[in-house]
Amino acid sequence: MKNLKKVSLYLLAVLAFGFASCKSEDPEKENEGEVITDVTLKFQELNASNALVGSVLSFKASDPQGIEVGKTPTIQPISLAKGKKYQMTIELTNAIENEDITKEILEEAAEHQFFFLGQVFESSIFSIQYADAGGIALGLKTIVTVSSSTGTNNSNMRVVLRHDLNKSFAGASNPNFANFAQAGGETDLDITFPVILN
Amino acid sequence: MIQKAILLCLAMVVSLSTLNAQPCDLVLRGRVLHLENNEPIEAAYVWLVESASGVATDVNGNFVFKNLCPGQQTIQITFIGHKEIKQSIVLSAGNSNLTFKMEEEAVALGSVDVHGHREAVQTTTAVSTLYGEALLQSRGESLGESLKRVAGVTTFSTGNTISKPVIHGLHSNRILILNNGIRLEGQQWGAEHAPEIDPFLADELTVVKGAETVRYGPEAMGGVILVNPPALPTTDTSKTEINLVGHSNGRAGNMAISHSGGSGTIKGLGYRIQGAARRAGNVRTPDYFQGNTGMAEGSGSAVLGYSSSKLGTEVYYSFFTTELGILRDSHTGNLSDLLEIIKNGAPFTQADFTYSIANPKQVVTHHLAKIKAHYHLNPSWKLNFQYGFQQNNRQEFDRRRGELNARPSLDLELFTNTAELFLEHNLKSHWTGSMGFHLIQQANSNLPGTGVTPLIPNYDLFNAGVYLMEKYLKGPLELEAGLRYDYRTLSAARYIANDLQEANLNFQNGSAFLGGMYQLNSNLTFTSNLGTAWRPPNVNELFSQGLHHGAAAVEIGDADLSTEKSLKWVNSLEYEGKSVSLELTGYTNQIQDYIFLNPTGQTFVSLRGTFNVYEYLQADAFFYGVDLSGTYQFTDHFNAYAKGSIIRAKNTETNSFFPFIPSDRMDWGLSYEFGKDPERQNRLTLSQVLVAQQSREPDFDLAPAPPGYTLLNLGFSKKLQLFQHDFSVSVQVNNLLNTEFKEYMNRFRYFTSDMGRNFQLKLNYQF
Repeated sequence: MKNLKKVSLYLLAVLAFGFASCKSEDPEKENEGEVITDVTLKFQELNASNALVGSVLSFKASDPQGIEVGKTPTIQPISLAKGKKYQMTIELTNAIENEDITKEILEEAAEHQFFFLGQVFESSIFSIQYADAGGIALGLKTIVTVSSSTGTNNSNMRVVLRHDLNKSFAGASNPNFANFAQAGGETDLDITFPVILN
Repeated sequence: MIQKAILLCLAMVVSLSTLNAQPCDLVLRGRVLHLENNEPIEAAYVWLVESASGVATDVNGNFVFKNLCPGQQTIQITFIGHKEIKQSIVLSAGNSNLTFKMEEEAVALGSVDVHGHREAVQTTTAVSTLYGEALLQSRGESLGESLKRVAGVTTFSTGNTISKPVIHGLHSNRILILNNGIRLEGQQWGAEHAPEIDPFLADELTVVKGAETVRYGPEAMGGVILVNPPALPTTDTSKTEINLVGHSNGRAGNMAISHSGGSGTIKGLGYRIQGAARRAGNVRTPDYFQGNTGMAEGSGSAVLGYSSSKLGTEVYYSFFTTELGILRDSHTGNLSDLLEIIKNGAPFTQADFTYSIANPKQVVTHHLAKIKAHYHLNPSWKLNFQYGFQQNNRQEFDRRRGELNARPSLDLELFTNTAELFLEHNLKSHWTGSMGFHLIQQANSNLPGTGVTPLIPNYDLFNAGVYLMEKYLKGPLELEAGLRYDYRTLSAARYIANDLQEANLNFQNGSAFLGGMYQLNSNLTFTSNLGTAWRPPNVNELFSQGLHHGAAAVEIGDADLSTEKSLKWVNSLEYEGKSVSLELTGYTNQIQDYIFLNPTGQTFVSLRGTFNVYEYLQADAFFYGVDLSGTYQFTDHFNAYAKGSIIRAKNTETNSFFPFIPSDRMDWGLSYEFGKDPERQNRLTLSQVLVAQQSREPDFDLAPAPPGYTLLNLGFSKKLQLFQHDFSVSVQVNNLLNTEFKEYMNRFRYFTSDMGRNFQLKLNYQF
């Protein structure tokens, strides 16, 4: 009986300890490390000898809260001149964390690739080619040629960033590859910019 | 020849008539005891088949039959929670006193006793148990897959590595899993969160199909699964069991060892240690490998128990750890990604075989420690105490950029304390019952550093319950009823961006059940159970807010959800004949305020693309269905089995169907046993699984229900003696014809076909 008392005392002690230590942590703010909140397309004209001329035109798509229901992203229309050739560079930032994502994409060039689709390509208004350093197919830097006879002044361009794809998939080297999904991976960005042609 | 036969017949008639000529005045006395400790069994039911009479044993386990005729008799003894005894005896003047020892089936509620006289599952509900040969056949499978062998149980799965048991159409938080008597508390709410338990630790898997909230607490709405380890030895014995399992598909290897023993010096002291490990690589469909579907799993348990005539104690510890690869292509970036892959019907990523596991993946560990004790206050009253501590860690990794890829996107730590104190009585009259207190305390924390707003908040939960159950048992009739009251508090807190979101909620509910069981005759038993159950809304249903990558969906919780309440009525008819056994179970389950995830029809647009928006809604639901299982023995060597289930579930408010309700299915097979030595039997089994297309589809689904399918399985098992110990070898081929199929209840049906042909080799050695 004495033993029994001892046992029950131990039991009580274990129990008291167990129940007392069982308390959730205070919640902490989480840094949204992965979100891309701002996508800026920068265009600068290239002259006949492929030298950069003129000022940089910058068009931005932004979603300040990242993914949040009820908010829609703000997308500026791209406004370019007909019959000209541009160098397009893409800058990606996470404004919540004030982080430059462009660098990360460049570091992981083997796992990322931009594809460019939409009416501008379907109607042969734009033509585009990858112009990234080292000749890789990435799309952070491209050369965009605007047709001189566009037929319309309003169009759109869809910019898709794929992550973790098979870059050597047949057809994937084409920046206009519409069946990018077949190369595997997932979409990190899918933005349709309105395009205004002057 | 004919003459000989006639002579033989005549001889028989003569001998029969001489038998009949003897007076029917014999008396048969007997006693029924527990096999393990020779304690008498009261109220075991003893039936003499030929004379069609039955009696129940008294307090000392004694029974008596009078006025019996001499000759062959079949005696049949049943007692709940124990394996039935059926034996032929020849009655003559000198053969009047017999002793029968009943072996326990570990289906105990108060699996508190270690020395055998533990209570059986005190339920009049339909109970199905997987043990012995059937369990051996399931070795190497997950808990969910193993339990598919029980009629009425299906799985809700995410690929081939994650499967959750579904009882009568309900799963996750609507059923309960008891790990050695303790409520398994992991993150069961998630569709892709498999139970954190390895069936290798059990020697019996039991499914209780009724609403069992009174006995086990809130949430046991659809049923309860009991995963019970074998009873501990109390004498100086030693037993070791080795299992080796190999699968061709996934090139999986599985090994499990358990060793138990008893002390020779300290009487009543016993122990067991047990461990298992599993490794598997990419699974193959008939046409291609599923990329990143490998897994690595480890588990173990240790238990030490002591029992004397009055006191029984046990200390138990178990752990479970798993790393699961998630099909790469199931992790989609947005809705158009998802629709592309659904249109394709197969993953885009071409995969080869590999054991390596990359992101997306899950890493889960679960620890359980428990102490239990019982004390016999007197022969009729027993006091039980049980305390369990559980720690569950769940990390989910997504494909992410840069260093984030090495960090989990979801990192949860869940602590649970459960304590139970209950008093059981087994009175000399016909009454047995129990009453007790049940406490659950739980703390969930998101470990910081994920770089993602947590899907569910940090929370503290406290649940206190008090219950009372009573059973009346007389002869072939059992009646039982129970009442319970629970009170629960929940306080949750989380930061969404810079806003602190807090909530404090209270829930309370009563539940009750009424059940009965009647043995119509020695072959036929009828059970009926009517029980209420309730389930407070789960934390994810209340507070979810965020992106669910697998479904390209934004899921939104509702903090105003009310408690789900159900009324389940289960009726079961069991027939046990000479060559036929049949079990028919029919049920209805009326659920008020059933919580479900409903597509709003809206989409949400972000820079990442478009997503479907889902919200948690409540509506009244009605589930009903039938389970049927049976066996037929053609000859001593040749027998057949069949089982099937039908479930219907409807939203009675909108008259529409719910998603992921199992379609009609059945499974039947033939087996042939051969071999001269009964100890060295060979068995050949051919079986077929038939699954219908789910024609009762919800209004919205990402893809239509896949067509029905048929699979053929073939198995051969052989029992041998190796160094004078039991050794069994079995070879199974699942999906023999390498049929390509998709299962409606597998969430990966959107992305890929199911597993192709799989050869399995299973070795079991006991010494």
